[in-house]
Amino acid sequence: MPTEPLKPFSPPTALLQHFNLPSTISIGVLVTWGLYFVFAIWVLYTLVAIYHWLRYSHASWVAFPAIGIHLFLSFALMSYTLSGHVFFITAALP
Amino acid sequence: MKEFELEPGEHVVLEARKHWFLFVIELLPYAILAIIPFALPKLLILVTPLAPYAALFQYQTPIMRALLGIWLLGTWTFAWSAFTQYFLNLWVLTNQRIVDIKQRGYFNREVSSLSLSRVQDVTTDVKGVLTSLLGIGSITVQSAGAVDEFHMYGIPRPEMMRDIILKYVSAGSNNSGV
Repeated sequence: MPTEPLKPFSPPTALLQHFNLPSTISIGVLVTWGLYFVFAIWVLYTLVAIYHWLRYSHASWVAFPAIGIHLFLSFALMSYTLSGHVFFITAALP
Repeated sequence: MKEFELEPGEHVVLEARKHWFLFVIELLPYAILAIIPFALPKLLILVTPLAPYAALFQYQTPIMRALLGIWLLGTWTFAWSAFTQYFLNLWVLTNQRIVDIKQRGYFNREVSSLSLSRVQDVTTDVKGVLTSLLGIGSITVQSAGAVDEFHMYGIPRPEMMRDIILKYVSAGSNNSGV
């Protein structure tokens, strides 16, 4: 069997024309989806932790302050990530 | 208590968690992780070949700000998770038994109890200078069974806990006429 030189691969353009995909993905879109992903993981993790606090903390008074502090600080960090305007974080930045 | 029902006449004598100092030690890696984004640019400047990379850490730019926010959010969430685990790990001494609640992770929980009537020997162990100063130690409770042992590591004032256990063991023995 004769060996043939490798031909460059070309994407199926005719097929791709049926989908309305952008030719390039901007870094902004990538960061936005990255943030959605991280926040989704955070929501899942937080729900699991809150479930454990409420179920297993033996109705301790610590449970609600612990959950409250976690939610407050997390939302502050998310707000900083998205807008950059959280006074106690921006004040500490170099 | 939802995980174990108290018997009639049973009451909780004390609840103990790991010493706070051990929890602070557990938090150290998270503290270091939180400091890294702020310390790294300053450290890079000190090393001449790497100094140009310090300019990358401009947290005023949206992307670097997003990365910093995610980094801090992740660090905080894991530190809070460590606190959750610390708090949910618990030793409960009632006037009838010792209950050891181990939260090894989320959805990984072990609750075991040992009746005080089966306790044969209680040993405390405090090793090291710092642990002696802070009163951190471990307790081993030997039961009548050959294998059954209860270990409690890193508890505050183990001698006090041992005395209380022995007090209730002897009180139980007197009540049962042993």
